[in-house]
Amino acid sequence: MARGFTLWFTGLSGAGKSTLASQLCDVLLERGMKVEVLDGDVVRQNLSKGLGFSKEDRDTNIRRIGFVCHLLTRNDVVAVAAAISPYRSIRDENRKLIGRFVEVYCKCDLDTLKQRDPKGLYEKALRGELPNFTGVSDPYEAPANPEVTVDTAAEEEAASLGKILQKLEEMGYVPAADERGYTDGEEDAIKERLRELGYI
Amino acid sequence: MLFRRDHHRKRAYVLGLDGVPVGLLRRLAAEGAMPRVAEILGTGNLKQMRASLPPVSSVSWSSFMTGANPGEHGIFGFTDVDPQSYRLRFPAFGELAVPTFWDRLGEAGRRCCIINQPATYPARPVAGILISGFVAPDLTRSVYPADLLRPLERISYRVDVDTVKARDELDRLLDDLDALLETRLRAMDYLWKQEAWDYFEVVLTGTDRLHHFLWNAVERQDDPRHARAMRYYRAVDAVIGEAWDQFHHGRSADSEGDGFLILSDHGFTTLRQEVRLNAWLREHGYLSYRSAEPTSVADIAPGSQAFALDPGRIYINLQGRFGSGCVKPEELAELRTEIASQLSQLAFRGEPVVAHIFTNAEAYRGPRSPSGPDLVVLGTNGFDLKGTTRANEVFASTHFQGMHTWDDALVWCALPIAENPEISDLAHVILDHLGV
Repeated sequence: MARGFTLWFTGLSGAGKSTLASQLCDVLLERGMKVEVLDGDVVRQNLSKGLGFSKEDRDTNIRRIGFVCHLLTRNDVVAVAAAISPYRSIRDENRKLIGRFVEVYCKCDLDTLKQRDPKGLYEKALRGELPNFTGVSDPYEAPANPEVTVDTAAEEEAASLGKILQKLEEMGYVPAADERGYTDGEEDAIKERLRELGYI
Repeated sequence: MLFRRDHHRKRAYVLGLDGVPVGLLRRLAAEGAMPRVAEILGTGNLKQMRASLPPVSSVSWSSFMTGANPGEHGIFGFTDVDPQSYRLRFPAFGELAVPTFWDRLGEAGRRCCIINQPATYPARPVAGILISGFVAPDLTRSVYPADLLRPLERISYRVDVDTVKARDELDRLLDDLDALLETRLRAMDYLWKQEAWDYFEVVLTGTDRLHHFLWNAVERQDDPRHARAMRYYRAVDAVIGEAWDQFHHGRSADSEGDGFLILSDHGFTTLRQEVRLNAWLREHGYLSYRSAEPTSVADIAPGSQAFALDPGRIYINLQGRFGSGCVKPEELAELRTEIASQLSQLAFRGEPVVAHIFTNAEAYRGPRSPSGPDLVVLGTNGFDLKGTTRANEVFASTHFQGMHTWDDALVWCALPIAENPEISDLAHVILDHLGV
């Protein structure tokens, strides 16, 4: 049975894609799955080194990440991509290529992003110092039908994480929560404790 | 943290006292054994509250945390049976069929900090902190997020007392209860300082253990361990006082005072006799076993019409529901009425043993109701209805001194609460208070 799939986080810079991808990775590893994270910022340092931020370069970058995700997915690895991936058509192209594809839209309003702005990028972009900055001077096309939408301006991290996990469980991509009961050893221990308290 | 905070919105704090009946708290406050509780009780309303059916922690706490009836959340006891093999199984937190109110708080961007919540093992992600309580067998899987494990280990955090030794070493049990309460307090202090939260909860389960093994010491002044039991309750009182002070520290009582709740998941009373329902079913020809020494209902013989699980749950061995089910669906209602009618006449030395029998339809509502027992039987005070298969005699004395009760759990708060509350009402009260 195929175990690999691609979890694709899309959203504006600072919306929480990398944070959630990293936490999801930990949870999936705990559940015994093989996981690889492809973070947009990291990919641009190696696989896509030299590419800029024109539409053509952005498309190439996202296609490359999609191709690697495809290879990982067909080899039973969970590929977790966290990249702005602003254009819907390229994301959909990747969806078609990969098949087992779960799109997570990290939604966050611009005011919140401007407040967070840990690297001061929004401030620079709004002053006109950063050309082609998605959401300010470059377009972002939100997904029409993502499998999961997380509103990171309003939700706690754990709530967003829970929502994604629930969808993955529903889709049968990760073991469902209700299958994660007791181990045999734990069941024996529970039986013993219930007996001591007169419940069995 | 990545996401939004708002320090001006209301918060709530729940102090859970496992197995403390309303009358006991009221008495200990009035007699001076719980002075901080006495102060607090004067500022709100202490009410008698109905627990779940059956009144047992796994079911009652599940009803509390979901605001739902067992027919909706699907947890009917610490144990259940596999419908094909009749093997005993132990429902885990993952089997809860509806979301908890903390899930709803998380979706609304609120943060929880929950310590020692029974029936939440293995712990799963919440918006904040969750430390599972009984029956959690392994602290590693009781903690969310996982990086909280190390700090808890550093304060020697434990889920429960050593109940193996409790039976024979009651003084040691009392020492162990003190130590357990101390670790709970350390966890409260640690998380209080470390975590931002909108909803804080700590459940003290030592009270339930004390009552199971040493109820007489709590109730009777002439019991040799009475003073020691009262010392434990004074320590519980100090923890409640500490929680109250923490909750109000730096905040005005006007904005926060009404978010503090004290509650229990069921009451307790003196246990006089255990009543073994499977022995009674066997005596009356409804149940037989394949083995001369049955160890569980998995040893049920074909042709058996009914069996019981702890506490007070009777299941009709229905065709289509159970693997060896022999009762036809059209016979169900008549058999259920017959068993209820005979059982309601059960007496011990002339005293009635059964206080009330609920049918499934009377006790439960919701899509999971068909998974519940056909009858839920409540004993009169003193008669504890058990599901053991290991006994031939219907009545027996036991080393346990206390038993659970249904209709005298407690809730104290200053928020408006229904006149005759049940434990599943409270989730809605808390969500309303928090504006979710």
